[in-house]
Amino acid sequence: MGTVIDARGLTHEYPDGTTALRNVDLTIEQGERVAVVGANGSGKSTLQLALGGLVDPTDGTVEYFGDTTDAEAVRDRLGVLLQDPEDYLFNPTVREDIEYGPAQLGMDRETATRRIERIASTLGLADLLDRPPFRLSGGEKQRAAVASVLAFAPDVLLLDEPFGAVDAYYRTRILDLITDHDGTLLFFTPSFDAVPAVAERVVVLGQGGSIVADGAVRDVLTDRALLTDNGLQPPVTVQLFEGLLDAEDVPLTVDEARRYLQERLD
Amino acid sequence: MTGVVARSVESIASALRQFFTAEHVAARDGFLQRRDPRVTLLAVGGLALAVMMTRTLAVTLLFGLVTVVLARLSAVPLRRLLARSAVVPLASAVIVLPQAVLLPGETLVSVFGFGVTDAGIAYVVLFTARVGVGVALLSLIVLTTPFSAVLAAMRRLRVPVALVWVFAVTYRYLFLFFNEMRRLVLARNSRTTGADGVREGWRDARRLSGTFLLRTLNRGERVGRGMRARGGARPPSPYGQQRAVDAGDYALAAVAVAALVISGVVRWGL
Repeated sequence: MGTVIDARGLTHEYPDGTTALRNVDLTIEQGERVAVVGANGSGKSTLQLALGGLVDPTDGTVEYFGDTTDAEAVRDRLGVLLQDPEDYLFNPTVREDIEYGPAQLGMDRETATRRIERIASTLGLADLLDRPPFRLSGGEKQRAAVASVLAFAPDVLLLDEPFGAVDAYYRTRILDLITDHDGTLLFFTPSFDAVPAVAERVVVLGQGGSIVADGAVRDVLTDRALLTDNGLQPPVTVQLFEGLLDAEDVPLTVDEARRYLQERLD
Repeated sequence: MTGVVARSVESIASALRQFFTAEHVAARDGFLQRRDPRVTLLAVGGLALAVMMTRTLAVTLLFGLVTVVLARLSAVPLRRLLARSAVVPLASAVIVLPQAVLLPGETLVSVFGFGVTDAGIAYVVLFTARVGVGVALLSLIVLTTPFSAVLAAMRRLRVPVALVWVFAVTYRYLFLFFNEMRRLVLARNSRTTGADGVREGWRDARRLSGTFLLRTLNRGERVGRGMRARGGARPPSPYGQQRAVDAGDYALAAVAVAALVISGVVRWGL
């Protein structure tokens, strides 16, 4: 175990005066799976960009792997998926877009081809590789963007709303790829749908761009007051069972709820 | 921006997007597709240079014929090649058209009191033909070779990194630029009745041009981040395509050298 990302006093103010982040301290250990949740405009995307070394914070520092504050020096270890898939699709074909990262970051072609074929097959992109990206549907673009980040096998994934316009089937496939990821995960999302499946720790950003809670998934997801105060809603299963069960027994997912009900019915 | 202006913008954007993305021709089995991209780049680029050097219509037309033959051998539909290559020469023809009356020579016909001279007409025709054939040749490279292979070939040919970078970024951003334009027009049209005339269309176009500039700047910044997130701050290093140089490559190179020599000899003599 070691520290993968260590952000200290991170503050970011946009040129129009909007403060998106305010004095954020966040330490991510190797292998941790962390969901960063917050309402719209709470600064999730800015935090992701700052942690990914894609915007320079107005104040504060980010140290990577206990070694450097230069994100470019560790670029091949950071897989940053931006919110809008269009930002990743700028080549004449989908294949060239997915190959872009592995080629730029020095992965040998054979390994890259193997990985791309596997990921493309999982995400239903195999038949779309030679198509121009602009001909893809919204969900296909999202899948291509996810593939383009996973293709170079980064140690740390920083994913901003990775499901986008993806349908239920491919949402599950993306979820499988994320949960199979053998490294550190930071998952930025405005909803809790996938949080229990992918994360063990939840960081909540408040409207002022500062961290208002940081704890275990169950502790955060069952704290209705904390969530509603910050423009969020507990998962639907928590809403259904709260008041009926103790917080430690409340099912966090539909599967858990079904199992609970099945046991009672049996 | 509905009506004529919107349709024009959409048609131009659509045509230009086709120009930048007609990659599936590159996947066909053809003469240029089988060449080492470095040879294609040098030889077809050499042919284009030969066209630019010439000042003789017959030689220009001869190179035009070579372009058509290369296109046929490479399974490139001539209609598509023509569509991709027509915009630039037509625009350049408009620009040099005044030369038809400005250049001294024998007056062929008088238009609004201005004499159109034989030398002027010859200049406009030759200039337009040279631009047309040159652009068609460069289009052949892009049509028959994947973009990443063109970049990789440039790197292997030791073209300065800054130049490759500028080429790569320009090509990609032009594509995004036209995509953004199309999105803006669609968003505008979805909230208008479509009953506007040309005058209203132009008025809206003026208003939207500012928005378009801001949107393209914003998109450019975000795409820049998307590139950096995947190593875009490093020099371009695509995988490309490397093939063994064979007889076909030598033949193509020989044609290019011959073209340069012929063009040089015809222009400057031995």
